[in-house]
Amino acid sequence: MKKQSRKQWERDVREGIIFRKRGRAKLRDKSSGTKDISWRATNRWIDSHANSRLNVDIDKRRRITLSLPERMNFFTEYESTVLHISAIRKLASKRRLPRRAYKLGLVNFDQLKSISTSAALVLTAELSKWDDSLRQKLRPMVNNWDRRILQQFVDLGFFDLFHNCVVERPCDEEYGSTSLNLVRYIKGRCGDSDKARVLKRQLIEVVGDKINKWTFLHGGLTEAITNVSHHAYPDHKGYSARDKNWYLTGSFDEASKDLKIVFYDQGIGIPRSLPASAIWERALDILSKFPIAERKRDEVLLRAAVEIDRTSTGKSDRGKGLQDLLEFIRQRKNGYLSILSMNGLFKFSMNDGEESIKTEHFENPICGTLIIWNAKLQN
Amino acid sequence: MKKLNIGKDFDPDPSGRYYTDGDASGEAFREDFLKGMLQALASGEKLQIILDDGVEGYGSSFLVEGFAGMVKYGYMTKDELLSKLDIVCADEDFEFYKKKIVEYIEKAVFNSEKYIPTK
Repeated sequence: MKKQSRKQWERDVREGIIFRKRGRAKLRDKSSGTKDISWRATNRWIDSHANSRLNVDIDKRRRITLSLPERMNFFTEYESTVLHISAIRKLASKRRLPRRAYKLGLVNFDQLKSISTSAALVLTAELSKWDDSLRQKLRPMVNNWDRRILQQFVDLGFFDLFHNCVVERPCDEEYGSTSLNLVRYIKGRCGDSDKARVLKRQLIEVVGDKINKWTFLHGGLTEAITNVSHHAYPDHKGYSARDKNWYLTGSFDEASKDLKIVFYDQGIGIPRSLPASAIWERALDILSKFPIAERKRDEVLLRAAVEIDRTSTGKSDRGKGLQDLLEFIRQRKNGYLSILSMNGLFKFSMNDGEESIKTEHFENPICGTLIIWNAKLQN
Repeated sequence: MKKLNIGKDFDPDPSGRYYTDGDASGEAFREDFLKGMLQALASGEKLQIILDDGVEGYGSSFLVEGFAGMVKYGYMTKDELLSKLDIVCADEDFEFYKKKIVEYIEKAVFNSEKYIPTK
């Protein structure tokens, strides 16, 4: 034993006070800290949309059944499609939640009658994320699904998500076949550029012929994958290596001859990653052409990101390589490229060699970046 | 003439900018293949680069880092580099990449950055 000095006593008192304050702060955090605010915000978001466009049923234990709408696509049904997909992201992203928090219990496909290739891919990606957070415990219940939707999801490889689950494809003779042929989706991580070859092989199988100017699509795809590595999932936003995925699929519509290739990442989106990137200075030059009030809009930021060419100033060769994405459509002289990221849309179209650009702002954001190439193969 | 067949000697799927983007990045191509082969050339000798043998396509990240990086990091001037390269392809679509490589090299600023390996 040793008698405590006055100096030591004062230090101990100070540390005790600090310790008690920290303890209280921790207690406060439990009720009103960041995590708490996050689930309350999700609850408010669900409540505010539940009475309008979001089909949800909430049971006594606050478990939510989310019923997908009849039609899902990002063209004519954008807001409803994004709202339902966002609900999955918001409800599925939390693991340990208080009793009062809404939790996702079931996603019901029974009312779904039509879905586009891109919406099917994004939905699959979000359910895959949910399944990952539950350590692959999700099980599909397909008894009441529309048979054509079931065909599409079997073709897409949706059921590969679920372990030990075999769902047979309904036969065409019984239910009639759809002219849309989807290829199995590919889930990749940063650096998995070789997977673009797998897509090509699958697409050639459904198209039955080689795809003219494929090399430019391949170049665009590898650049999209590089962008995912560099920009989509910044470490300071808390993404783990397991989160840093991208998804890719394609489809061919035999009736319309439309070839569609869809790439999706679940990251922060191009408009959010632009200010932190090496090309922000050059983006500001382009943004200065727009009225001040519009410069922060996602569709304007998207347009600026695409317009920056690597060699535009010579100051830096860094960029997002988004010009590479346009090349497949430019070379084919017909078709379009759509980039949907957060609340913005950038659409580049070519009609018999004539270019046009359209941008649009949406009320609800898509959670990540979706890139769609569409080309008519008869040309 | 010495030859560098990208699809056979380097990787059939060249992509990405840095080592951190994967094994077949532009940085890996420049540091582990191109730089050494160019430096080993005799005076007046050229290096033939075959672009399209087994390769599906290229992203600009790979091309700019792989080729223009030689100038940017001060390994050689753009004129010296262009005089040593003979880029060939049988597929006419790959002419696009050939033009891009020349464009990136011509726009690169000699010794404008210090090279810091990313691995």
